Order: sequence, then C-alpha cells, then structure tokens
Amino acid sequence: MTDSVSAKPDDSALVRVRGLTTVLNGKKVFDALDMDIPRGKITAIMGPSGTGKTTLLKHITGQMRGDAGEVWVDGHSVSKLSREKLFELRERIGYLFQNSALLTDFDVFENVAFPLRQHTELPEVLIRNIVLTKLQAVGLRGAAALMPSELSGGMARRVALARAIVFDPMLILYDEPFVGLDPIALNQVLKLIRTLNQTLGITSVLVAHELEAIKQVADHIYLIANGKVVAQGDPRTIADDGSPWTRQFFGGEADGPVPFQYPAGDYATALGFPRRGA
Amino acid sequence: MSQRPSYAVGTGLFIVLGFATLGYLATQTTSVVNTSRGPTYTVEAHFANIGQLKARAPVKVAGVRVGQVQSITLDAGKETADVKLAIDQRYDKIPEDTVATIFTSGLLGDQYIGLQYGSSKKTLAEGGTLSLTRPAQQLEEMLGKFFGAGGAADNLSGSYTVKARFTNIGALSVGAPVKMAGVAIGSVQSVQADPVKLDAEVSLSIDKKYSQIPDDSAAAVFTSGLIGTQYVAIQPGGSPDMLKDGDELVLTQSALQIEDLIGKFLVSGSPSDKKPADGDNKH
Amino acid sequence: MSLSMSRDNIVIRSLEQIGNCGLFLLRLLSAVPQSLRHYRETVRQLWFVGAMSLIIIMVCGLFVGMVLGLQLYDVLSIFGGTSATGTVVAIAIYRELGPVVTALLFAGRAGTSVTAEIGLMRATDQIAAMEMMAVDPIAYVAVPRFLAGMIAMPLLTCVFCAMGIFGGHLVGVTWLGIDNGTFWSNMTATVEVGKDVINGVLWKSLVFGTVVSLIAVFQGYTTPPTSEGVAYATTRTVVASSIAILALDFVLTAFLM
Repeated sequence: MTDSVSAKPDDSALVRVRGLTTVLNGKKVFDALDMDIPRGKITAIMGPSGTGKTTLLKHITGQMRGDAGEVWVDGHSVSKLSREKLFELRERIGYLFQNSALLTDFDVFENVAFPLRQHTELPEVLIRNIVLTKLQAVGLRGAAALMPSELSGGMARRVALARAIVFDPMLILYDEPFVGLDPIALNQVLKLIRTLNQTLGITSVLVAHELEAIKQVADHIYLIANGKVVAQGDPRTIADDGSPWTRQFFGGEADGPVPFQYPAGDYATALGFPRRGA
Repeated sequence: MSQRPSYAVGTGLFIVLGFATLGYLATQTTSVVNTSRGPTYTVEAHFANIGQLKARAPVKVAGVRVGQVQSITLDAGKETADVKLAIDQRYDKIPEDTVATIFTSGLLGDQYIGLQYGSSKKTLAEGGTLSLTRPAQQLEEMLGKFFGAGGAADNLSGSYTVKARFTNIGALSVGAPVKMAGVAIGSVQSVQADPVKLDAEVSLSIDKKYSQIPDDSAAAVFTSGLIGTQYVAIQPGGSPDMLKDGDELVLTQSALQIEDLIGKFLVSGSPSDKKPADGDNKH
Repeated sequence: MSLSMSRDNIVIRSLEQIGNCGLFLLRLLSAVPQSLRHYRETVRQLWFVGAMSLIIIMVCGLFVGMVLGLQLYDVLSIFGGTSATGTVVAIAIYRELGPVVTALLFAGRAGTSVTAEIGLMRATDQIAAMEMMAVDPIAYVAVPRFLAGMIAMPLLTCVFCAMGIFGGHLVGVTWLGIDNGTFWSNMTATVEVGKDVINGVLWKSLVFGTVVSLIAVFQGYTTPPTSEGVAYATTRTVVASSIAILALDFVLTAFLM
C-alpha cells in the first residue's frame, strides 16, 4: 500500500498528472496521484477493476475535474481551461470509447465525417477524401455505407478509431480497446494502435487488462490501485519488481493486496453465532 | 448521405402542409369568410332596441347577405342605438323607404338585420339613414306574453290543498310553483300516479289569502321559458262558488311538448284556449 | 445531473424536478444561438418528431371529429339544433380538443421517443463522444429536438383540427344528413379567427409544444444512463407532460378568454 512510486519530472511528458485527488460518492478514487505520459510513446495504464482508470482518462480530457491537484496536457492545465479552450484541446485528442459510441443515427461514413462537418467548412470532395483515407487505414473503406447496428464489435471499434484520428490528433486515449474482441479482431486493433503510433508518432494511452496484448505494444506500464501508482516500468520486467501488487495482478492471484472478501463485518456475528469467549 | 435530401424534402412538405392547413382553418372555417371584401358604402339605422345584435352581424335582403354591421353605438343623448351598416357596393339600389328589422335566425340563433325594400324610386346614398326600423323582438318578451312571467313562490303562512288530475305532468316535480296570472300562489305538494285511473294526481298547496278562486278554474302544466322548469298555472273560471280545502280541479290541461306549444302559438296566436284533459276528467 | 431518487418527500422531489427543468431550459436557451449552426439537425429532428407523427395525428383527429359530430348531433337534436353541429365541433376542436389531444398524442409519440433516444445516447456514450469531439451535446442533441418539438406542435395541431372538422363533416353531413351549406355557414358565422384559431390553436399548441419538448429532452438528458433509467424517464415524460398539458390548458384558457 505504501509502494507509491513518485513520478520523475520529465519535460518531454505530454500529459502530466500532479497530486490529483478525486472523491466520488464519498470514495477516494485518486489520492495524490502523480503520472507522466511521454510524447510519442504508448503508455498502458492497468489496475484492478474499479480503480478509476476510465475516470483518469476523463480527467485528462476535462470531462471530470479533480478535487485537488492538476492535470497538464501539452502545457495546459485542463481544469483551468475555459470551455472554448477545452474544446480546442479536445479537437487534438482522440478518444476511443469502450463501447465505440458510434452515432446510431448515421452510417459509418457520416460517423467518421462528423467531426469534420462540425468543425470545418471543407468542401464535400475533401471531406470524402479524408474520410475514405481514414477508413482505408482501419481497413473498412468498403463498409462506409453500413449503419453502426450492422457492424461487429471489432468493426465498430475500428470505425471509432477512424473517427478518433480524423483530425490527426497528438494524443489518443484508448479505453479498454480489446474488451469483447475475438483474437483476430484483437490483433487487428493491436496492429492499428502500433501503426498509428509508429507512422504518425501519436502519443497513445491504453487502458486495458490484457497483459499479453499490452506487452506487444506498450513502452511503459503504470499499475494503479487504491488511488495511487503502485508500480510502473517496462512491460517485460514490471512483473518481476517484487511488489505484492504486481505479483497479485500479473500473477492473477485471487487474494492478496486486493482482497477476495469485500470489506464486511465479522462473519460469525453475521451468521448469528455468539462470539468466542462471550 | 443519400437520406439527407429525402428528409429535408419531407420536412419541407410537412411545414408547408401545416401552414396551408392553418391558412385553411383561419380563412375558410371562421367568420373571416363572411367578411366583406371589395368596396362597401355605409348607411345608418336607429333602433330602439338592438337585442343581441353584434358588430359584423350580417345584413340581409330577402335572406341574401348584402353586407354587415359595421359598428353599434348609443345615440348621444337618446335612448336609441345608432347602427352603421356596411353594404356591398354592388347592392347600391336600396330604396330610401326600406324597413330595417332585427331578426333572429332560428329560435336560438344569432341576430341579423333584414332589409325589406320599400317602393320609393330614390335610393339610399353613402351615409344615408334608414328611417324605418323595427327593434329586436326579445324572445323573453314574446314568451312572457304567452306564459305570464312569475316570481318564486312566497313563504306560505297558511294554506289549503286542492287536487288536480293530469294525464301527463311532463317534468313537474314536488315543490314546483302554482301560479295564477303569473303570480305564485302556492306550490305542488305531492305528485302521485293513480294505479286505477292511470293518470297523475297532483296535490296543490295554495296560500289562504288566495281563497277567492272559482271552483270551475282550470289547472295547466306549463313550462317557464323555453327549456325551464315546469309549473302549474291556475286559470280562473266564472263560477260564483269558491275552491275549498280538499276540492278537486276538474278542468286540467296536461303538459305539452315544446314543439306543440310553439306550433300552437304560431298557428293560433292565442295562448289562452282552455281545453279539458282527456279521460276521466271530462265533464 | 443525476437525479436524487432517495428523497422520499414527493413534494420536495417534484419541486426539485421543476427547478432542474427550469435551469435546463436556461441551458437550452443559451445554447440556441450555437445550435443554429446545426440547423440541419433541427430539420432532421423536425422530420422525426413532426412529419413522422402526422399519420397518428390525422387518424386521431378524424375520429375525434367523427365522435364529436355523432354526440353533438344526438344532443342537439333534442333542441332541434342539429344545424349547430358544425359550429360546436369547430369550437370544441379549436379551443380545447385540438391543442390538448394533439399535445397528449405528441407526448406519447414523439416525447417518449426523444427521451428514450437521448437516454440511450447517454447510455452508449454517444453524448460523451460528442463532448470528446468538441461538439456541445446540448447544442447538437438537445436544442434541435427542443426546437423541432416547438415548431412541430402548432403545425400538427392545425392538421389535427382540419381532420377533426373533416370528421365532423363526414358524420354530420354525409351520414346524418345535416345540410352541407348550413354546416359551413353556421360554423363560419360563429367561429372567430382571433378567439378560436389564434388563441386556441396557435398559442396553446405553441406553449404545449414547448413544455412537452422541454420535459422530453430534460428527462432524457438527466436520467441515469442505464436501461432502468431510460425506462423510468420515458414513463416520467408521459406522466409529467400530461399533467403539465392539462394544468397549463386551464391556466391558458383562463388567460386567453
């Protein structure tokens, strides 16, 4: 529990989290969290369910604000930005939602074209070219006319990815990009994440549980639990750092620092047995 | 992509349809349709009583609409109403001695002005005055003449009871007034069906101070107003003997349906004919 | 924006809802200028809430007019006043039945679908995705639906009224044999543009449209983004809209008389 690793100051960090503390419904989600996400790298954030990984992404995009501490993205303190400035910043951040979040009213083409239509006055020909380029990049140019309801989970996620990169963002946040995908689709998404990072130099933040997949792409792993970073390091070596957290999490043990039992009162008392010695 | 024009066109159609309907409702189903368009000229008429006449009420000749009432004002210093009529320009041959009457369309309808042409060769000009007018006939007055208006029954100090038999009492109920010459003199005490004679036996409680009622007087079930409650009217006879407690009125007239009533009124013009009721009450 | 379901006092909860609804209206109104950029979306929503409700509105209007014609003929024949059927049908429809029944139908047909749609968009993160794409969801999702409802209601009410009068005419004139000319001339002699059509049809329906759309959008936007939340919200849309329509109808009638 005290294994909190303080992040080293790093000028090349695109996202810098300092002392972030957030209380939701009386529960401390983040407790003075520090984190640096380096430019041009793929950083994975892992941790037991319910530790606020998605919440952390929402702090980076300014959808949520912490009670204390700051989040800096490309030199801007997110919580201090006006709504207009925040929207300007968001145009440079791609976000891949867990359930893709495609607009059900529009077909695939219009979904990818949506940000362009909203923020630019580009001529239709140009919009068409940009959208088809992005769809080609995710391998779904042929699916342009389909409606979101006709797509499989993996295809929907790739369309969402095409939409997320339509403005060539500096940062992409992937929220559980591998959940519910078969091995083929998973590898397709994995390949896309790597390609986007390598060819376009897009900084990527990956929230996921799939250690094997993450080992293939991530440059750095943060393990968060109880509102703090409990371990970080190279994906190949992090499991061997000797902390009980990494041993439980990467070893997949049922009990450990994350208890099997949800906190409860005395078992014997709950069953109505008299306490020993009473 | 391809659906954009289709719903845009559909939405456009919807909006056009909505406004077209509004236009139709506003112009074809309302009094706007009756508003005179085109040139009109104004004439005046003075009425002693305009009844329920309103501005924009129609002006008709032989039942044909020729214009409408433009304004109604009270003549300064007089007890007459100054009604300005806007007549369509094409009906400009109205004789000077034309009579303007305020009529009611139907029994309960709105009022309008009817013009009955005179024989004069001169025609009315713009701003002219129709000097011959007939005021509104108040329905209440007409029916009042017919039925005799009456107030509510007084509190009775002492009373005596007489009986009357009717073949049909209509909607007469206990407590209904008993009137003579339109004045309430008592009330209905009880209404009972006679199982043997198959008619209705009505007990009338009459105030002691009206003890001078001839014993050959007739009782009739009348309706106050057009759709009002029913009451018993006593029509005095000529006998020297007076009614006493417990007597029976032998001459009765049962309740009439309103259609019969008006029909009778229109045909004979006389409301006062007495008729003996059918059945056992005949002499 | 999550609703506190824990308050047990229904009065406090209703007041809280009304207060939140009012604040939400301010948010909507302040986003109207911004949403003018998305006028295409408003047009699209007008198609969904307006044009797609036409069939049900027309059918119901026809039947309401027909039953009115039948009932009034029956009652008026007691007084020999069947010629007034057209007048009474028109006045009843213009002043009350047109705007009120249309608004109730609109709440059931379009209001619920707007609530469910927005609720599901929240549940499937579409709203959050718009936020992330730097598109204000109030301006893009809420306002177009609100404006579309406001515009569609008066137009639908007009169509309802026309169908109602047609229905009354069908029963009165075609089936029961009232004279065609009498039917229309009595109607045109009595019905007034200002008092009946403008006050009854237009003002009332505009107010009802605003209120129903506001409630529908508000419920969808503020419900917990779960399937139970969406189900509750659609129910609440119908209940709150119906109460609001009938209560406002009384207030408006008193005002406009």
